[in-house]
Amino acid sequence: MVHIWPIGGGKGGSGKSFLTSSLGRLLAGLGKKTLLVDLDLGSANLHTLVDVPYPEKSFSDFIRKKIPLLEDVVSETPVPNLYIISGAHDNLDIANLPYEQKVKILKAIARLDYDWILLDLGAGTSFNTLDFFLISQNSMFITTPEPTSIENVYRLVRAIYFRRIRHYFNATDFKALEEEVLRQFGEGSFNNPDCIMEVIKEAHPEKNLLLENDFNSFKFKLVLNQLRKHDNIALGSQICKIIEKHLGLQVDFAGNIAFDDRVHDAICQRVSFLDRYPYTRTAYDLRELSKRIAQFTGQQLLIRYT
Amino acid sequence: MKKDFAKLNYYEMLDIKPDAAFFEIRHAYNAALQIYEADSLVSYSFFSREERKEILNLLEKAYSTLINGKGRKNYDNQLMQTGVLASPGNKAAARKPACIYDVKRQSGTTVLPKNNKAALRANVAQNKRINEILSKDEISGADLKAIRNELGVAIEKIASETRIRMDYLIGMEENKIDRLPAVAFLKGFVKSYLKCLCVEPVEGICARYIEGLARMGKNNETGVF
Ligand SMILES: Nc1ncnc2c1ncn2[C@@H]1O[C@H](COP(=O)(O)OP(=O)(O)OP(=O)(O)O)[C@@H](O)[C@H]1O
Ligand SMILES: [Mg+2]
Repeated sequence: MVHIWPIGGGKGGSGKSFLTSSLGRLLAGLGKKTLLVDLDLGSANLHTLVDVPYPEKSFSDFIRKKIPLLEDVVSETPVPNLYIISGAHDNLDIANLPYEQKVKILKAIARLDYDWILLDLGAGTSFNTLDFFLISQNSMFITTPEPTSIENVYRLVRAIYFRRIRHYFNATDFKALEEEVLRQFGEGSFNNPDCIMEVIKEAHPEKNLLLENDFNSFKFKLVLNQLRKHDNIALGSQICKIIEKHLGLQVDFAGNIAFDDRVHDAICQRVSFLDRYPYTRTAYDLRELSKRIAQFTGQQLLIRYT
Repeated sequence: MKKDFAKLNYYEMLDIKPDAAFFEIRHAYNAALQIYEADSLVSYSFFSREERKEILNLLEKAYSTLINGKGRKNYDNQLMQTGVLASPGNKAAARKPACIYDVKRQSGTTVLPKNNKAALRANVAQNKRINEILSKDEISGADLKAIRNELGVAIEKIASETRIRMDYLIGMEENKIDRLPAVAFLKGFVKSYLKCLCVEPVEGICARYIEGLARMGKNNETGVF
């Protein structure tokens, strides 16, 4: 079974690409056939982190139909078992992908034959990005211990929630739902999934059950990256607690990754941080995280397109 | 889904068990403050100023009530009167003093006593409506639902006991052919469902249910069967 892990959240520079590449290296090192997919189109740089400086093929070849099969866009990396679909050369933004193309990509990804597929989704929360999160019951949000980055995690969680609700309604019913929510809760309330669910519970009990079932099956993970010595180590679990208590959604805290200046050095020298500095706290944290996520399982493809 | 903080009871607000010791209450209160205080990194962007103020007020009230022996007793009595807390049982308490209260979870989880299989079986045997349904040639999803309702078992309970996905259970009860899995799986699901309700004979009832669905499927031209 393929395990697909969408990775995103936080904001620019929180370390999504660094973590994606590190986890990829570690999973590949466990003998798992692992594929990294750079979906942060527009600012793709995952290839650089796995030492593929000049990728010959990229996502745009598939999107622009130059290469018909997604598996033919995959490049090897110098690391055994580790493969990449690069997003380099794409001046596309994932937010602007037309619907048909998005569906085509989602389906193609789900059909790829790898043990692990890690999707670097960047920091966006466009509808398209959200749909890539919903491809799998597993997802990983990366944040740093800064209020701006944490704020984006809350925004992302709410947005995914909202997006899933939208999935069960056609345009007319959704419009009606919006009107009802606004009528009951007043202006601005349609941005608040809590209010929406309240109305759904009353008006569409069957959809409410399906949604609750979905929300219960999500296995979101939160990783706190770039934690410095004086930072609060309980921050990650507190964030998860607040999400559970006030949004009713479960996000599990998956671990802290220590800050280390040498990450920067390794990236500049384009060498693997894990290989160059294996005895650092950060490398230890990364290995622990990879072991933990290797145990998690979850079903794929919540979204079924008809 | 919505968890309105003001609707939680004090124990839930502080995330503690109803039999928490005083030091646990104090500890829980401090932990909550860390999360909800104005300068907390965790909640800074989560609440508006008013929401935060309301939550802090509630926490304060919860803490000051529970940390005070008399106040706590009064509050516990209130909870028992509204049925949120079970009253300490006379006999059980004598043998097992450690945990005397049990927070009853909200709706949907009609908790059946552990040893309920025998009781269920007796209910099935005595219930007239159920016996009428069971004597029919064809059994529909609505019949399954009716049986379940007669027995007062929540669908969530079946979901958690059988681990069958909720949407399948609903699909089964509502004869939604397009939502159901392939027949081979469906048979297994129906049987677990029946076993969970202690309705027998499992094989026979399941066969009659599948037959009913097959006939419906033919009429609707859905190609599932
Ligand atoms: N644990 C860490 N310790 C120290 N520095 C780190 C750590 N993680 C990431 N960094 C630094 O943060 C920089 C940005 O990381 P990265 O490119 O992975 O972020 P990103 O989230 O992918 O950003 P974007 O959203 O722009 O794609 C890295 O170049 C690295 O220097
Ligand atoms: Mg990146």
